[in-house]
Amino acid sequence: MSMQGMLRRFGRGRKAGTMPSAGEALGKILIVGSPNVGKSALFNRLTGQYVTVSNYPGTTVEICRGRSSILQRHFEVVDTPGIYSLCPITDEERVACRLVLTERAAAVVHVVDAKNIRRMLGLTLQLIEANLPVVLALNMADEARQLRIAIDADRLSTILGIPVVETIAISGGGMAELAAAIESVAQTKREAAGGEPVDYGAALERAVNTVAPTLGDDHGISRRTRALLLLQEDPAEASRVLGRRSPEHTDAVLQALHDARALLEHSPHYYATLALRGRSDRILDAAVCFPPRGRHSFRETLSRLCMHPLTGLPLLAAVLYFGLYVFVGKFGAGTMVDFIQETVFGRYVTPYVEQAVNALLPWPVWRDLFVGDYGIVTLGIRYAVAIVLPIVATFFIAFSILEDSGYLPRLAMLIDRVFKKIGLNGRAVIPIVLGFGCDTMATMVTRTLETKREKVIASLLLALAIPCSAQLGVIMGLLAGRPWALAVWAAFVTGVFLLTGFLAARLLPGQRPSFYMELPPLRLPRVGNVLVKTYSRMVWYFKEVLPLFILASVLIWLGKLTGVFDLAVDALKPVVGAIGLPDGAAKAFLFGFFRRDYGAAGLYELQKTAAMSGRQLVVAAITLTLFLPCIAQLLILKKERGWKMALTTSIGICVVALAVGWSANALLTVLKVTL
Amino acid sequence: MICSFCGKEFDEQSARKACGRCSVMGGCHKVKCPHCDYEMPEEPRLVKWLRKLWNKRHDHAVR
Repeated sequence: MSMQGMLRRFGRGRKAGTMPSAGEALGKILIVGSPNVGKSALFNRLTGQYVTVSNYPGTTVEICRGRSSILQRHFEVVDTPGIYSLCPITDEERVACRLVLTERAAAVVHVVDAKNIRRMLGLTLQLIEANLPVVLALNMADEARQLRIAIDADRLSTILGIPVVETIAISGGGMAELAAAIESVAQTKREAAGGEPVDYGAALERAVNTVAPTLGDDHGISRRTRALLLLQEDPAEASRVLGRRSPEHTDAVLQALHDARALLEHSPHYYATLALRGRSDRILDAAVCFPPRGRHSFRETLSRLCMHPLTGLPLLAAVLYFGLYVFVGKFGAGTMVDFIQETVFGRYVTPYVEQAVNALLPWPVWRDLFVGDYGIVTLGIRYAVAIVLPIVATFFIAFSILEDSGYLPRLAMLIDRVFKKIGLNGRAVIPIVLGFGCDTMATMVTRTLETKREKVIASLLLALAIPCSAQLGVIMGLLAGRPWALAVWAAFVTGVFLLTGFLAARLLPGQRPSFYMELPPLRLPRVGNVLVKTYSRMVWYFKEVLPLFILASVLIWLGKLTGVFDLAVDALKPVVGAIGLPDGAAKAFLFGFFRRDYGAAGLYELQKTAAMSGRQLVVAAITLTLFLPCIAQLLILKKERGWKMALTTSIGICVVALAVGWSANALLTVLKVTL
Repeated sequence: MICSFCGKEFDEQSARKACGRCSVMGGCHKVKCPHCDYEMPEEPRLVKWLRKLWNKRHDHAVR
């Protein structure tokens, strides 16, 4: 039978007598799958032009519904939002899961991108396990063939126990076969899930077997799936199961869940993800032939090299050397800052503004506010535009390249082992990496870590040993011509980071949670993406930094007027003297309390006047990196962890920063090291 | 939008619901990925406008 004969859309080619009568219940075909796999193209192929779009009740998520006629049977076709698994996270996923688990579909068409079948087969296994009438559509089959990925659809169908069809939705390829497969599953009475069930390992299997018997029947979805959803704390399933039962039954389910969770060392999601991935790999080994060599194998090799400690650490060192030291430190903080500060501000902006202000304002006090030693233009705007902006711009370019290439999740995998020693896991790489952008925002991200212990350790490390982007860039610039000085700085800061984490992990009680994540593919960064990300970050950073720098200038001006500024600087002079620094460094440390990068910029200027030796520069850079977090970070720390933690951390950080600075100075002096 | 860290796709508007639980209430101008909690700066208006323009032209060319 031709495709047109098997599949007739109501919109086009309609025949008299094929329309269902009003009120006639239509079987449903749900189209599910990850985003960007061609679900909508396939939906359009099945339904034609007469489509209704409406919000799913109680949400703003749009659902497309259309009608289709397959082999004289009428169906309502529903295009669901993209999902990655049956355990939803976003609103769209929640709606898609609710449709899949409650709509009693005649057929569920799981659309996968045939090229990336390895990442998507896990959802197929979940749908089969839920006892749904699944058809697997291997979409973009032509692109997979071009990449020499040979999928044996018949073998795959036999192993999974469901119809498997190759489709090219964009051109209509494979639609007749898909229609036949839909018809066959729609006609078949639902029985037990096909294929070999997924083995989740002894612990999770015991937990599932504890919960499943306490659950009643619900929309024909298997108890095993529902037990897994409850164990993974899916709120929709919890309300479905617990909200409609008698109190006795609810208590029994809750008790079973409690007993089941006690059997698990890690989160159920962890066991389930690993088991689904393992089963998918075994199925694909039997039914799919991937090209042995080529672009993908090189990427996979490089991906593995990035994560293996023996090769990953030298690669990380190379990334840091070329990305931070050469590009940000030498080019951004050296060449670009010199040009903008000396040429743009030194020759044009500052003299012009000084002339204008002097002409407009006859009062010296008000002139000082704009063009004095600490004026808004001569200090605040100059620091923000001439020193910080070129540095953060180059840093954000380097960071965006790493981000777009997919290197960051591999870095998380690489440092997971090291992080475990300091009481964290690879997941903590997210706040730590974000800390290099802005420590304040990163402190807020620590709330996403699993345990309180992890949150406390990560917040402490962020406040102590993670310099923000501008501070890091300025320090790179400060030490750019002195590679040994940079090595000493890196060794001290890394040492403090590891030692603090190690001690905190031993002193704080608590469990060490597991870490896993699905890796996105490694790819060549796209110029457009890098430019957009860099621009977005620069706009965000500039919006945040410029008002604060101006505010700091105003506060310093007020402090100068009242004498408070000089008092504070005088109070800090003996402290900076004790760690071997000149009196001028006291101002930089005071600036640093407003923002760390503001202080680093002050230090940068001090270095330009050749007021500090190599040893003093290293000691100042170490101490300022470890010194008190800026006011904003301190307030967020108080908000996230409370006053007690914020105050203890701040006092501890001051003591540690000065003690490490003093030790570094003493050690370098005793060893007579000239840097 | 697509998360720069985990590579998963999510809707920017629905991701903003996380802002209600945060002390900055969206003032940070960042978007948090609901899958992995990675934070990205929101796209500036200029970029959104250029993207919209590009998509319109692209759609027109395809038709």
